[in-house]
Amino acid sequence: MSHPHHAGLPAQAAAGAESGRGAGGLLRILGYPLALDRQYQPDTHMWVLPAGPGLVRIGMDALGIETSGTLAQLSFRAAGTGLAAGRPFGELEAAKFVGPLVSPVTGTLVTVNEAVAADPGLAEQDPFGAGWLIEAAVAGAAHDLPGLLADPDEITAWFAGKVEEYRLSGVIAQ
Amino acid sequence: MSSRAWRLLADDGAGAAAGLGLDEALMAGYGRDARQRPPTLRLYTYRSHCALIGRYQNLEAEVDLDSCARTGTQVSRRPTGGGAIIMGAGQLGVALASTAPAGQRPREIIEELAAAVAAGLAGLGITAVFRGKNDLEVAGRKIAGLGLYVDDAGGMLFHASILADLDIPFMLQVLRIPAAKLAGKAATAVAERVTTVTRETSRPWSGAALRDAIAAGFATAFGATLEPAAPTADEQSRAAALAADRYGARSWLADRSLAADGSGSAVLTTPAGLARIYVTTHGDLVKNAIVVGDFNALPAALVELESALRWRRLDERSVAAAVARSGAAGALGVPAGQLTLAVLDAGRQADQRATAAPVRATGSCYFPDPDVPAPALNGA
Repeated sequence: MSHPHHAGLPAQAAAGAESGRGAGGLLRILGYPLALDRQYQPDTHMWVLPAGPGLVRIGMDALGIETSGTLAQLSFRAAGTGLAAGRPFGELEAAKFVGPLVSPVTGTLVTVNEAVAADPGLAEQDPFGAGWLIEAAVAGAAHDLPGLLADPDEITAWFAGKVEEYRLSGVIAQ
Repeated sequence: MSSRAWRLLADDGAGAAAGLGLDEALMAGYGRDARQRPPTLRLYTYRSHCALIGRYQNLEAEVDLDSCARTGTQVSRRPTGGGAIIMGAGQLGVALASTAPAGQRPREIIEELAAAVAAGLAGLGITAVFRGKNDLEVAGRKIAGLGLYVDDAGGMLFHASILADLDIPFMLQVLRIPAAKLAGKAATAVAERVTTVTRETSRPWSGAALRDAIAAGFATAFGATLEPAAPTADEQSRAAALAADRYGARSWLADRSLAADGSGSAVLTTPAGLARIYVTTHGDLVKNAIVVGDFNALPAALVELESALRWRRLDERSVAAAVARSGAAGALGVPAGQLTLAVLDAGRQADQRATAAPVRATGSCYFPDPDVPAPALNGA
């Protein structure tokens, strides 16, 4: 394992020589894209991006998708459904896995991304853009939601640590 | 997972719906809001025979229902992912019910549990390895299939089917596979890609006979002690209800994925003659791929390619990466680009067929279907 351990380092240091800015303003961390303009739920790899007053867009980062297995199908609860942080808002079917998509926020499901429901490959190709999953109405400040990582340095250190952890365990390719 | 004493359940001869009903009933006591308790490991066999398909597979496309009726083979649908399998006295079923570990990704969980199965096989002198996103293999041949299901409450069910032995001709009869196109070669082709404990140890094994070794593998891998137990009355009652209302219900068997399935093939001209690539698809994913040609022995690079293509998305970049990684183009003596195009051609054909006929012939988890048209279905 040749990568240095990045956990705890500030964003720029963690980005280091192996990382950098990619297309669309995404940072590349040890080969994986990462957007720093949003918040993250670290257990589920869900990201949350303010999308308007009281509105957030939700998706899954590239590591979360790859560690689920190749996506075969995504299905979502209907618009208008109440959401609770830590509770399902849909279901994911991957190669060997069937399980819930877990909401990072409490609120109400407003919109489902029909494009990603029709083509789950979008979530793999563009996890921070066209591959978003749902939009939700939330109470309070959409840029500072409870239980989410919001600080770019903290996000970068967490993400780099996860890449290394998954590589070491063989869950993702070296 | 907890290292305290786990419950160990053992039973034999389960019916298809009853077997799956008890597995799900065991999950009921687990989840993020449930009282913390150690996992339950069930090591069991099904009656000979049962055909079990994956959560989102299409029953009629995976299983020859007429053949099942003729042979008394029961059918049902698992809650877990993965492909169609035959279960009976020759296969050991593994069901592990627990609470999904917070913060662990599905692949981490599957890999950790696969390692426990591998540890059990190691006790029999068999070196099985987990191949990334696929299954447990011995020298490139599948010996156990794996699947994972997490419910909305955070309860988890891990499934494995371990091949103590396998009646390949029977499997070819019951699961929809390319017997028509490959004629007498089908059994050989399966045998080249699948192995069993019986084959690896050169002595006969039943599924039930593997139980102690696999239990020991879990105990070692998790530092757990296993305490023999029986299902509680509540679990038995829930299992009976699930067997009747879900796993034996027509609506559950008829369920299917929104993603269409298809099968296609392409011919590749190589210096050594013609090779044919068969691909079965689920949406735009490769469910299974196989390369057939006049090989004295199946080249390892082709086994690698078949494995690398499984559950890969059918786009040029992804397929080219699988081709490059496998070294299969070199083994076949063709440029990598030519092999990539052949795989994509087979995939395009599968996609067209899936679009034209949403209910299609397709492969099992052991073997893909050839380029034969989808069968007519009753009422379809």
